[in-house]
Amino acid sequence: MKTLNAIEVHNLSFSYTSAEKTLEGVSFDIPHGSICALVGPNGSGKTTLLKIMIGLLAPAGGNVLILGKPPKESRTLIGYVPQRFSFDKTFPITVFEILHMSHPGRSRTEIMEYLHRLNMDGRADIHLGTLSGGQLQRVLICRAMLSDPAVLFLDEPVSGVDVGGEQTFYELIAYLHREYNTTIVMVSHELDVVANFADLVLCVNKKLVCDGKPEHVFTAETLTELYGKEAAHYHHKE
Amino acid sequence: MQKALVAGLALGAVLPFLGTFVTLRKLSFLGDGIAHASLAGIAIGIVAAVNPFPVALAVGVSTGILVYILERKTSISSDALVGVLFTGALSFGLILMSMQRGYQPELLSFLFGNILSIRAQDLWVILPLSAGIIGVLITYFRQFALLALDRETAGLYRVNTSPLDLLFYILVSVAIVLGVKLLGVILVSALLIVPPSIAKMIARSFRKMVVWSIVGAECFVILGLALSYMLDWPSGATIVLVGAGAFLLIAAMQGLTSTRRS
Repeated sequence: MKTLNAIEVHNLSFSYTSAEKTLEGVSFDIPHGSICALVGPNGSGKTTLLKIMIGLLAPAGGNVLILGKPPKESRTLIGYVPQRFSFDKTFPITVFEILHMSHPGRSRTEIMEYLHRLNMDGRADIHLGTLSGGQLQRVLICRAMLSDPAVLFLDEPVSGVDVGGEQTFYELIAYLHREYNTTIVMVSHELDVVANFADLVLCVNKKLVCDGKPEHVFTAETLTELYGKEAAHYHHKE
Repeated sequence: MQKALVAGLALGAVLPFLGTFVTLRKLSFLGDGIAHASLAGIAIGIVAAVNPFPVALAVGVSTGILVYILERKTSISSDALVGVLFTGALSFGLILMSMQRGYQPELLSFLFGNILSIRAQDLWVILPLSAGIIGVLITYFRQFALLALDRETAGLYRVNTSPLDLLFYILVSVAIVLGVKLLGVILVSALLIVPPSIAKMIARSFRKMVVWSIVGAECFVILGLALSYMLDWPSGATIVLVGAGAFLLIAAMQGLTSTRRS
């Protein structure tokens, strides 16, 4: 039976040290085709939650199902764009090489087609280390999209990208969502972008503080609970 | 000389091939550490009057596995672990050797490398093991490259990270010990590091970097062994000197080119 939810998280807990829980009792569902934003202050466990969902970290308790399967069994169905892709920039690896090594079943023609869709024509044979932040982000999105993912996870995808690059990036994600009905799960600090872009917001601060549509979640009370008094101004600006 | 050349050509392929991944993973110190630790095995072999080569192989591989395990089970950095283990094993080897009376020619040839020390029975170990390591590297080329580039995301692209990491440490340990007789404990890791460092400066892709590393290393081995034979210099030192000279030359040429551009 096909589940209606792309992601189901039940009573999830995780801790890096025995002294403090990073996440506790987190439960939520993300329907197919949603654009879901994970928001919360620094150190609230957003990235940890994302890494558990894609199977890079194992939870201490609870469970996660991606399209009805545990994360490690659903890796072929997901794409992931990390917050930071730390590599030695002096190393001579080309854009095509990293894409082909990540997806050996894809032909050069297919990879070039994806690069074309992401406005990266003519970049296949240049060094990864010479790309700008925005171009590197596109390569990482291309790498994630080559899996034809049903769910795309993005961890603070525009950190280190200039304003113009940010705009183009969100247009690109909107295009992918529109064309392929990809479920998108994104960690973000940009509440204004989230308010316009996402249709589901999960507020995380060690636990799930609240969830729902942006207009219901971004109230002065929730923002104060999540970020402290200063953040309540954001609500009044709207 | 012929046996040394055959051994040198095999090592000239396997060490820089592995070295490409070693330098990308910033594990250059691991090669040095394993080579020095293997001296404990050599000492055990000499004291026990058995062939030191297999004992050194066992000690080298054990050191590599121990570094792998301790890296994951403790919060100590890889460099610190290698430092502790190799100095410990080296000290053990030196104490064992101090118990032996008289001049130790075999120890000296293991320390600095010796063309004449390569025997037919050594080739029977070096050649199949080198071929095996190259076979594994070709089979898992994609996985090792992704692991070296970014370990965290590699797991999402069908890379079985932990077993392949362990396999990589074992391969480095075996390859290093294979090179000890020809190049010496002190210099063997140079063939792991120098050719990939030169190739990195000139290659335009990762695959080409691997090819240039191997081509460069083979040239250093042939030229180094020829000079070593003609001038009666230690084989390891001569091969490494040729490589280091090439490195300096290419670095200087690159420096000149970039100065002209700016």
